[in-house]
Amino acid sequence: MRRVAVTGWGVISPAGNGADTFFANLLAARSGLAIMDVNHYVNPDQIVAGRVAFDATEHFTRMQLITMDPTAQFAVVAAREALAQAGLADAQARGEAIDPDRFGIAIGTGMGGSGSVDAAYTFMFEGRAPRARPMTVVLGMNNGITAQLGLAFGLRGPSTTVSNACASAATAIGDAVRSIRHGYADAMLVGGSEALLNRGTIKAWQAMQTLAKPHPDGAEASCRPFSADRSGLVLAEGAGVLVLEAWEVAQRRGATILAELAGFGSSTDAHHLTQPHAPGQARAMRLALADAGLQPQDIGYLNAHGTATEVGDVVESEAIALAFGDAAGQLAVSSTKALHGHTLGAAGAIELIASLMALRSKQLPPTAFLDTPDPRCTLDYIPHTARPAPGLRAIMSNSFAFGGSNAVLVAKEACA
Amino acid sequence: MSQPVIDLLVETFGLKPEQLTPDATLQSLGLDSLSIVEFMFEIEDRYKIKLPDAPEMPATLGEMLALIEPLLPESARKPEGADTGAS
Repeated sequence: MRRVAVTGWGVISPAGNGADTFFANLLAARSGLAIMDVNHYVNPDQIVAGRVAFDATEHFTRMQLITMDPTAQFAVVAAREALAQAGLADAQARGEAIDPDRFGIAIGTGMGGSGSVDAAYTFMFEGRAPRARPMTVVLGMNNGITAQLGLAFGLRGPSTTVSNACASAATAIGDAVRSIRHGYADAMLVGGSEALLNRGTIKAWQAMQTLAKPHPDGAEASCRPFSADRSGLVLAEGAGVLVLEAWEVAQRRGATILAELAGFGSSTDAHHLTQPHAPGQARAMRLALADAGLQPQDIGYLNAHGTATEVGDVVESEAIALAFGDAAGQLAVSSTKALHGHTLGAAGAIELIASLMALRSKQLPPTAFLDTPDPRCTLDYIPHTARPAPGLRAIMSNSFAFGGSNAVLVAKEACA
Repeated sequence: MSQPVIDLLVETFGLKPEQLTPDATLQSLGLDSLSIVEFMFEIEDRYKIKLPDAPEMPATLGEMLALIEPLLPESARKPEGADTGAS
């Protein structure tokens, strides 16, 4: 079975665009969350949200933008960064290095082109036109992201779009690892993208009573994972994209291997539609460890799902204790969602990149705003400030979804 | 050619005005059938008109404008400068 190398990554996120800026902001605990006006004509409102600073016209022509939902725009820009880092920016050189028929795509998204659908339906139902825009279907379809990546970079290998709610990107990445291992592809462009900050989607989330209230210290401090005073999750948009390659393909072309994506664990709770379940989560973590051939004590950093919901943070802490046993006491855990919010279908990719950058730099991003931990959350959550970790050799990234879908990724230092 | 329609083509698709000659094929301008329908819808919404269901997709800009221009209000039919006497 072939090993899987990570050779590039790119990020569009509320905590910064470009992986280096993004990770520097995580280490400095600079939050990208802010108040957002929801200009709903029935019920004007404000929420805390993680919006990206992104001017699409800087990256695409107007002709291109007609067929691109923001999810596709974010993903293509993040992919340009990832391919450039991998030394695969040039189309001709890319085609010579990796057979385009064996270069695939695996992308996760939760709500897909919900903004385009929301806009089309609003236009129609407000009586401005008797029919939807012709592009509504191709803008709204979830695999529009995957299709646009294929078109942008001429990738013709296997393609898949995963919609596994908050575990979408992690599941897509894990499936891509298996595609490379088993020889269905030599390289895969993988990740997730989300752009759900539109009125209809926000209203639906508000109705679930899971969104954070603005914190008295400031809106930027409203997402407070593992904290006793947490009040819920903060919706966010963004994309994370990585280049994965079969180890020998990356070696043969002389690429810099940034890490080995070594383990994937996937499980279903079959417990409750929205309530998380520690045994299901722990099983995914154990499966990922076993897949990577690692023991719990080998993991030096775990990027938690940590959404800052009342139930979620407690259950995940229990699940980590279950999966890691005695090693849980020495494990450094953080939730970077305090700084970039919950990017749903993109979270697994953005947070894997944060974890891989921690692995490369030996610096652990903190859990921001963690003044007083919930007494039921008893792990080491790296409160407030980044921490050096010179001995870091392997990381884990958790993604747990509504619906009880759990996806866990494990990566190791790149060792030939 | 109707200047407001030409302006809208430039605005919607980022095309250059000098590309927009009557015999330019829509394909050469990068417009596929969905883009053309999108544009026709935009014209209908903007001018509150109903374009006929054409038996075939127009192939050139001139053919597309021939479908649109007869239905436009008088003010939108004129080429640039025609109502000022400047040209």
